[in-house]
Amino acid sequence: MIKEFIDLLFLSLTYMTPLVLAAIGEIVTEKSGIVNIGIEGIMLFAAFSATVVTFFTGNPFFGVLIGTVLGGLLGLVHGIISIYLRGDQIIAGIGLNILAYGATAVGLISIWGNFGSSPFVAKIPKIVVYNRYISPLTISSIIIAIVFWWVLSRTAIGLKIRACGESPHAAEAMGVNIWLVRLGSTIVGGSLSGLAGAYMSIDLVGQFSRGITAGRGFIALANVVFSNWNPLLTILGGFVFGFFDALAAYLDIIVQSIALTYIFKIIPYASTLIVVTAFIGKSKPPADLGKPYFKE
Amino acid sequence: MKREEYLIFILEIAGSALIGFFIGSLLLLVLGFDPLKSFSSLIIGGLYDLDYLLSEATFVMLTGLAFSIPAMASVFNIGGEGQVYLGALASLIVAHHTGNILLSVLIGVSVGALVGGLMGILKVYKGVNEVITAIMLNWIFYYITLYLITNIYYNPLAPYESIRVPKSSRIGYIDTPLGRIHLIFFISIITCIITYIVLYNTKIGYSIRVSGLSYKSAEYAGFNPSKNVVYSLVMGGVFGGLSGALKVVGFSYSIDTTMSSLYGIGFDGIGVALLGRNNPLGIIFSSIFYSMLIVGGHIMQIELNAPKELVDTLIGTLIIALSLPYAYRIILSKFKIMRMVRRF
Repeated sequence: MIKEFIDLLFLSLTYMTPLVLAAIGEIVTEKSGIVNIGIEGIMLFAAFSATVVTFFTGNPFFGVLIGTVLGGLLGLVHGIISIYLRGDQIIAGIGLNILAYGATAVGLISIWGNFGSSPFVAKIPKIVVYNRYISPLTISSIIIAIVFWWVLSRTAIGLKIRACGESPHAAEAMGVNIWLVRLGSTIVGGSLSGLAGAYMSIDLVGQFSRGITAGRGFIALANVVFSNWNPLLTILGGFVFGFFDALAAYLDIIVQSIALTYIFKIIPYASTLIVVTAFIGKSKPPADLGKPYFKE
Repeated sequence: MKREEYLIFILEIAGSALIGFFIGSLLLLVLGFDPLKSFSSLIIGGLYDLDYLLSEATFVMLTGLAFSIPAMASVFNIGGEGQVYLGALASLIVAHHTGNILLSVLIGVSVGALVGGLMGILKVYKGVNEVITAIMLNWIFYYITLYLITNIYYNPLAPYESIRVPKSSRIGYIDTPLGRIHLIFFISIITCIITYIVLYNTKIGYSIRVSGLSYKSAEYAGFNPSKNVVYSLVMGGVFGGLSGALKVVGFSYSIDTTMSSLYGIGFDGIGVALLGRNNPLGIIFSSIFYSMLIVGGHIMQIELNAPKELVDTLIGTLIIALSLPYAYRIILSKFKIMRMVRRF
């Protein structure tokens, strides 16, 4: 019984990683005043490109790198649309999600001729702890959470980012270039979502399959709200949401019933909804979130 | 509307479509397909069968309404997808057990409205962002529907689909000079017109629109903007549910076990609504354009072996381009300045 419990805990850690990384990325973006609901799409694009690169080079680290860079580029595009072109941030995000679903499916079919999933590629080597495997990216995600908490709450650049999201006029008076800070934040945020996506294909599964993220980007959004825009708390939120993901996967393996598979798959989504409903109300988003800034 | 507003409107729609097709062509070139051939196959294929074109337009027209009415109150109903699943499932089950058309459509509509209401209540009274609620509900209903149609309401004669809607409780088609057209298309056109009248000529429609434009003004005017958010999401849910219900009792008569006949109808509605500028009458036209892309995508895949997901790519780009009304205004004003300079 204890053995199964520890197994489940380790499985939760593997499912926690993308939810933490993407949530931190979204926190950085939202703290600066931009809301990007296209992180699901960024994760998909990154998961796909990481798989392609790893497939052709055989080096998973290179794949993760490319996925992260691509995530940053997509963050840049969303940033330009939101900041300089004053586009509707939510609608641009929705468009990005649909585009990502279509483009990665098209790429999948035209590269491997397969409508469902890519061949398996090399995974990132795991670290062994208590005879169980843990990914270096899982450990990195915890370190990243701590670093970003420190940067956002304890440094000058963090203060500037928060000022852009809370009160851009005050920030402008302080001499901050709002547009540049926001653009930088969307790029960093996009890269972290990209890293999360690359992790899902290269590390968690070992292949790309159509729509591999299956709403994880939105669970990460729920994690942002759950953690009250605090990078440290995303670890807790990620663990809670990751636990339900792990539980669904675990029950599926243990019970071995085709009929119940669909019921188990509901667990992560239903529990996310319940947890968010129960915990929200105490959380407070940045004051100027989602509004374009007009220079005076 | 002033002449300039029309110009901007046309520029926006045409510009976005061009950007969409341009990015799509680039992708096709990279993947080694001939863009010209692919797009002509897409458009000709899409327009070839009038009945198919209009029937597919029906579903996205209704999910377009499902997105646009909450959008007027400044909330995003991404949950059209889940409302379609549940509406389709509920009306299939009711039609199977009772054989009553009206009752089955009514139940389909009601469950859609309930989902919309749940989203609204969670947003207004609990502060849960409607986008998160919607996506979670979409997945929950996806798997509930899959579970029920593969385990309880499966078809013993055809393992790839659910039980079929009994012949007596189907909505059929009529013969017109242009050929046979499914009746559901006319039902959805009437729905659009009624919605237009409700939005622009009644108190509830007016108060929803005011709440969307300015929360504070709505409060001062004595409307309750929070309630209007819930109402608008309930109305959106009605159309999402109706879309699913009409799909099952009026067109496919069953749900396939890969859910491919239902998947995407809700998301496509977002593009339809944006392209139709959230106007119920505009949505009638944009849904037919959209349906051409969807139907054409299937034809293109069969004819040229070019994946039909290309259409999603096209639509995603189109939606991103449509999020930029300000950019088009800049282009237009630059253009105007140039013309003024030349005149002097």
